[in-house]
Amino acid sequence: MALPDSPKKQRIIIVEDNALVAKFFSMALERGGGYSCLITEDVPAILEEVQAGLVDLVLLDISLTSAEWEGRSVDGIELCRILKLRSPRRLPVLLATAHAMSGDRERFLESSGADGYLEKPVFDSAVLIQRVRDLIDGTRK
Amino acid sequence: MLNAPIPAPSHPETFIEEMKRYLHFRERDSELLRKLGPLLSAHLPEMAERFYAQIPHHPGAARVFTGGDEQVQRLKKTLQAWGSGLFNGIYDEHYADERYQIGFRHVRIGLDQKYVISAMGVVRAFLLQKLFDEFPEREERLAYSQALSKILDLDLNLMCDSYFRATMSHLQALNQELEHASIQLAEANAIKDEFLAQVSHDLRTPLNSILSFTKLVLDGLCTTPQEEKEVLRDVFSSGQLLLRLVNDLLDISTIEAGKLSLNLEELDPRAIFDSTLPLVAVQAASKNLRLIDETLEQDLPVVLGDEIRFRQVLINLLSNAVKFTSDGSVRVRAIAAPSAAHLRFEIEDTGLGIPIEKRDLMFEKFVRNNSKAQRGIAGVGLGLAIAKRLIEMMGGQIGLDNGANGSGSLAWFTLPLAKTSVTSESVQV
Repeated sequence: MALPDSPKKQRIIIVEDNALVAKFFSMALERGGGYSCLITEDVPAILEEVQAGLVDLVLLDISLTSAEWEGRSVDGIELCRILKLRSPRRLPVLLATAHAMSGDRERFLESSGADGYLEKPVFDSAVLIQRVRDLIDGTRK
Repeated sequence: MLNAPIPAPSHPETFIEEMKRYLHFRERDSELLRKLGPLLSAHLPEMAERFYAQIPHHPGAARVFTGGDEQVQRLKKTLQAWGSGLFNGIYDEHYADERYQIGFRHVRIGLDQKYVISAMGVVRAFLLQKLFDEFPEREERLAYSQALSKILDLDLNLMCDSYFRATMSHLQALNQELEHASIQLAEANAIKDEFLAQVSHDLRTPLNSILSFTKLVLDGLCTTPQEEKEVLRDVFSSGQLLLRLVNDLLDISTIEAGKLSLNLEELDPRAIFDSTLPLVAVQAASKNLRLIDETLEQDLPVVLGDEIRFRQVLINLLSNAVKFTSDGSVRVRAIAAPSAAHLRFEIEDTGLGIPIEKRDLMFEKFVRNNSKAQRGIAGVGLGLAIAKRLIEMMGGQIGLDNGANGSGSLAWFTLPLAKTSVTSESVQV
């Protein structure tokens, strides 16, 4: 478990429209992984943090209900492209989706430019933390 | 499988020209026939008799002659007229068109062409015999009988082609019907697939929350007992949502399978209100909403309905109102118009309201008003679909309107008044 006030806490933004799923991601990553999490679908707010280089990973749901960019709604795939384009440093994005079809996986990854794929449902926080850790470490190589 | 190419039916105009060429039917044949006409015309009534003695002889054809003697007499006249036309006819499009009607008429009434062909054979034999009687000399006999055979062949060909054409267009119509039915089937199937996908998604979502939050507690990731309690509350509410969905699904499938039976009886709305409103009052109080029962001062007439289902619909509409209202009130009222056969119930809230274009849709399965303001409000989108079916089964109607001051929504439904209360004094708000 991470120290409560560690200044080195890595920051993860969780973009997920199901409140309970988002809450689980957040609790698992904060308590089990020592990360600091922000749950939001507010695209300008996400961009602000990303552009300031404050974000270590974005956990993105594919189907979003209220994420909007430039006056229209965007899904996780589009949002991923927007974030990747504007991030000053390499930003790992983990795409979470319930579309548990093997054909979709490649399509989603390719069209979004995301770094990894998380198949929902996730019950085990250890699995989630491991996926996140691998992606963050991968970018530090 | 119909893989073999079906020849396209020919057009009557081109068909008759083709046949004339094929049968070597020349102007001389027309001349001979015109001369033959007066000689044979005396025999046309007998020819018609023979024809109509032949056709009803087949049981399969006889069932078509339902018009009795009158019909047969009329048909005999028509046949005689054809006979005259045969001898002094102009064998043109008009002639072909008329003969082309035969097949369509017969296919429509289900008369097989084989009966008509055999009766035409009788006609041919009869006319040839009469011709032989008229022309003892061999050369003449040959020339006249050849001309007669050609025109009868032409006629038979026209008739047979018309059966073919009629059968083809009948099949085409049938094919179109089948195509239409198969499209409808595919659409119904797509709706069912969508329904299943939606159901499995909706079942999994709360179940996944239950599992993941339970695991969170088991893994010791909650730091305080309060936090653990909060997570368990989420588990509990997910379980409730799941139970509600399962109940709703059972309801809707029972209703749609036509297996839901109602226990219709005379019900006192007062008793239903008194046992139902307190349940919703708890939800309302937790959101600081006022739940106002405007019927308290009223004498409510007795209605006809199923007690459990009446209560179910009422709870559904009331909890919807509470769920989608963040502050203000939820009002319940009952309206009995002076001569109405129904009692109208209204549940009005000061909440988000539903746009006009979405109102009818709200009674469809799994439709939620997914506006931004509503996100995070749990629901499965079956409640109104069930309520509509239940109310209609009880003989009432259900709908959504604007709230009185333009905002909020007003859900209403009606139930038939029990016979005993129609005569009693009607009650007004």
